[in-house]
Amino acid sequence: MSSDLILVIVVATALAFDFTNGFHDTANVVATSISTGAARPSVAIGFAAALNFVGAFISISVAATVAKDVVDAEVITPTIVFAGLIGAIAWNLVTWYFGLPSSSSHALIGGVVGSAVAAVGFDAVISEGLIGKVLIPAVVAPILAFLVAGIAIGIAYRVVGHQRPGIVTRGYRYGQVVSGGLLALAHGTNDAQKTMGVITLALIAGGKLGAEADPPTWVIFASATAIALGTYSGGWRIIKTTGTKIIKMDAAQGFSAQGAGAAVILASTHFGFPLSTTHVINGGVMGSGAAKRLSAVRWGVAGNIFVAWLLTLPAAASIGALTYGFTRIFGTGALGPVLVTLMALSLVAAAFARRAREGAPVTAAGG
Amino acid sequence: MIATLVEGKDLWQTVVASVVAGIGVTFAFSVAIWGAGQFIELSRNDRPLGAAVAAIVASFALTCVAAAVIGGIVVMTHK
Repeated sequence: MSSDLILVIVVATALAFDFTNGFHDTANVVATSISTGAARPSVAIGFAAALNFVGAFISISVAATVAKDVVDAEVITPTIVFAGLIGAIAWNLVTWYFGLPSSSSHALIGGVVGSAVAAVGFDAVISEGLIGKVLIPAVVAPILAFLVAGIAIGIAYRVVGHQRPGIVTRGYRYGQVVSGGLLALAHGTNDAQKTMGVITLALIAGGKLGAEADPPTWVIFASATAIALGTYSGGWRIIKTTGTKIIKMDAAQGFSAQGAGAAVILASTHFGFPLSTTHVINGGVMGSGAAKRLSAVRWGVAGNIFVAWLLTLPAAASIGALTYGFTRIFGTGALGPVLVTLMALSLVAAAFARRAREGAPVTAAGG
Repeated sequence: MIATLVEGKDLWQTVVASVVAGIGVTFAFSVAIWGAGQFIELSRNDRPLGAAVAAIVASFALTCVAAAVIGGIVVMTHK
């Protein structure tokens, strides 16, 4: 009974994480379209939410990586997964509070690794998987997106340089509808799977699935719904940072950043690398700005984002480890996770209330 | 060391696919915009042959973009 209650709490927490993932990472998909005027905010977000939902059903290769390649599924318990999820959600909310586009994927992986280490020791971590499937792609992906977007925008400016600005801007804005759509689809494919992976891991740990099982259909459907709802809710603070604070973007830059982002995410999804869509799209935005001129990028803002990226894995891991330690004070039953859930809900409500009092910098109506 | 940790071939293929798709799509779409701009300009200047060629170039470039988008979706669905 107690283990089933823990499993229910874990699944609910995983879906809450998925919601924050969509909420937090909406910026990746829509920020460039909104800031260049390619789409109205409400339309862009509704479109992105729908395509995120569809994208979640397309592939499960990344889910398999999260569930089986980073931590040893044999030694993982539902409480470890729960503590890892709390670490990821907490870091997502901290970075949302400060408007920083950090990686939800790395927060999730960091949280689960941290709680697993706290519970079992470093033997629980599959270091080859962590380094080869997470850390090295994490370094390669934003640099790749930066270079691809930079080269692409250089070529684009050369090709359309002598055309009338009106048709060029209109053309790239139409193009952004397609590139933004593809990016949303790729985001759903890549990010919803991470939650599927974690729920699958919890179900394996709880003895509900075999060690080599793939995510059940209800897990895929629930993850798709949660990320789509989160996306529809929109994280306006991060949208503002990605869309307007890093560079002042024209439609061609928006198109090349989205195109580069979609290409990198799709390619990495195909090969099963669970990379960060946040890193990729922000790398693309910086690349498309730097190609115009280096001073076009607000490097102070970019520096804050880099620091958040560097801190994500260790910070989420630390919170995950502390959460696991706290739950163990109350034994191995459901009391610890229940108390942590209640405390987390209180903190989240307080953070949202404080942010609401301060006022959001961008709204769906005000764009 | 790194080569043994990373699935090097997969990572390399990811890099190549990203570069080709990301740059190729932006180039093709830019050519489509260029073709559309030339078509409008040449039509205004009463040069139908040039306008027709520009329209064909724009259409071909747009077809390439559409093919790339469909290819991307196919890649996703076949994993």
